Amino acid sequence: MRMPDQLDPAAQKKRLKALETQAKEAQRTIAELNSRDALKTQFLSNISHDLRTPLAAIITHAEILREGMLGELNAKQRDSVSGIVNGGQQLLDMIDEILTYVRGESDQITLSPMEFSITELVDQVRMLNQPLAAKKKLTIERLNGDELPSVNADRDKLKHVLGNLIGNAIKFTSDGGRIWISLSRRGKNAEELMVEVGDTGRGISRNNFELIFREFAQVDASPSRPHHGTGLGLAIARKFVELHGGTIWVESELGKGSRFFFTLPLNTPRD
Amino acid sequence: MAARILIVEDSTLVTDAFTVLFRQAGYDVEIAASVAEAIELGSAGTIDIMLLDLSLPDGSGLDVLETLRARGRAPHATLAMTGHDDSRTRRACLDAGCADVLVKPLPIGELLRQIERRLA
Repeated sequence: MRMPDQLDPAAQKKRLKALETQAKEAQRTIAELNSRDALKTQFLSNISHDLRTPLAAIITHAEILREGMLGELNAKQRDSVSGIVNGGQQLLDMIDEILTYVRGESDQITLSPMEFSITELVDQVRMLNQPLAAKKKLTIERLNGDELPSVNADRDKLKHVLGNLIGNAIKFTSDGGRIWISLSRRGKNAEELMVEVGDTGRGISRNNFELIFREFAQVDASPSRPHHGTGLGLAIARKFVELHGGTIWVESELGKGSRFFFTLPLNTPRD
Repeated sequence: MAARILIVEDSTLVTDAFTVLFRQAGYDVEIAASVAEAIELGSAGTIDIMLLDLSLPDGSGLDVLETLRARGRAPHATLAMTGHDDSRTRRACLDAGCADVLVKPLPIGELLRQIERRLA
C-alpha cells in the first residue's frame, strides 16, 4: 500500500530538481552577500584612510595657531582653537577605531608579543586618562598587582584594551565617581592573569551583557543618545583579548556600576 | 645656516601645514610629492632631515631612502611617517635605515622635538 505522503517517481524527480534549484539560488545569494560584505569592508578601510589625511592637516594647522606660532592669541581665541584640536583628535580616534576593526575583519591583525610589566602598563594608561577623569572629578586607582610576574603579550593591543575599558568607565560614570583596576591570578595553577576594570557608573542591564561586545552595537543606538562613538571599542577589545587566548566579560547591575574582566594566559600566547 | 627638511608626502593638505610649521620654526623646507621627485631633490643637495610618507603614488617611501643611500646621499636622519603604527611597518622602516617611525598626526610640539633631537 502506498503511504499518502509518498510521491510517485516523476513527482519525486520534480521536487528534487526544485530543491536543487533552490540550493543553487541560495549559494549564489551567499556568494553575492560575501562579495558585497568584502566590498563594504574595503570601502570602510579606504574611506577611513582618506578621512585621516585632511583631518591630520586640520589638526596640525589648528595646533600651529594654538601654540601662537603665527602670533599670540587671546584666551578666548585659544580656547576656540583648542576646541578644533580636541574635536579633531576625537574624530581621529574614532576613525582609527574603524580602521583597527576593518583590519581585524580582514584578518590583518597578528600579535607581536613581548615581556613587560602589566602593572606599569596599567599605570601608564591610568595616567593617560587622568586629565579626562579629572574633568569629571573621578578617581582612577590601581588596587594591587605589584607582586605579579611580567606577562608575555602584545603590549600595544593590551594598552588598547585597557584604554578602551578605562575610557568607557570615564564616559559612563557620573561626576565624583570611582574607577579601579584590580589585578589577580586565577586558575588551578594560577596560570591566568585576571584584570578587572570597575566603576561606580550607571551600570548595564543583564540583557545587554552580550550585545555590548558585538560590532556596531550600542545599548542606546538612537541619534539622540548622550554618548557617541563607533560602537566598535568593545568588539575590538574582545578580538584582542581572544587573540591572546583570553576571555572578556562584564558583571553589572543597572545603577550599581560595572565591572569588566579579562583574562590572559600567563604562558606564551599564540603568534 | 638653517637646517634643510625634505617633506616627502603626496597630500598638499599635509605639506602645506608642515611647511607653515617648519618655516615658522626656522627651517628651510623642500617638498617632494613622489618617489621620483624625492630622489631628484635628495640627490641634488644635502638634506638634514627627511620626513618620509610610506605610500606614494609611484612607489614606497622606503625606495627613496634606499636609492639615496645607494648614491651616498642619504639624509642625516630620516623619519618615516605612517597613518597607523603596526610592528611590521615599524620593523621594515627601521631595517631600511629610518631613525624613527612617526604616526601621523604627531602633536606639533613632539614633531619639532623629534627634529631638534636628530639635528643635535
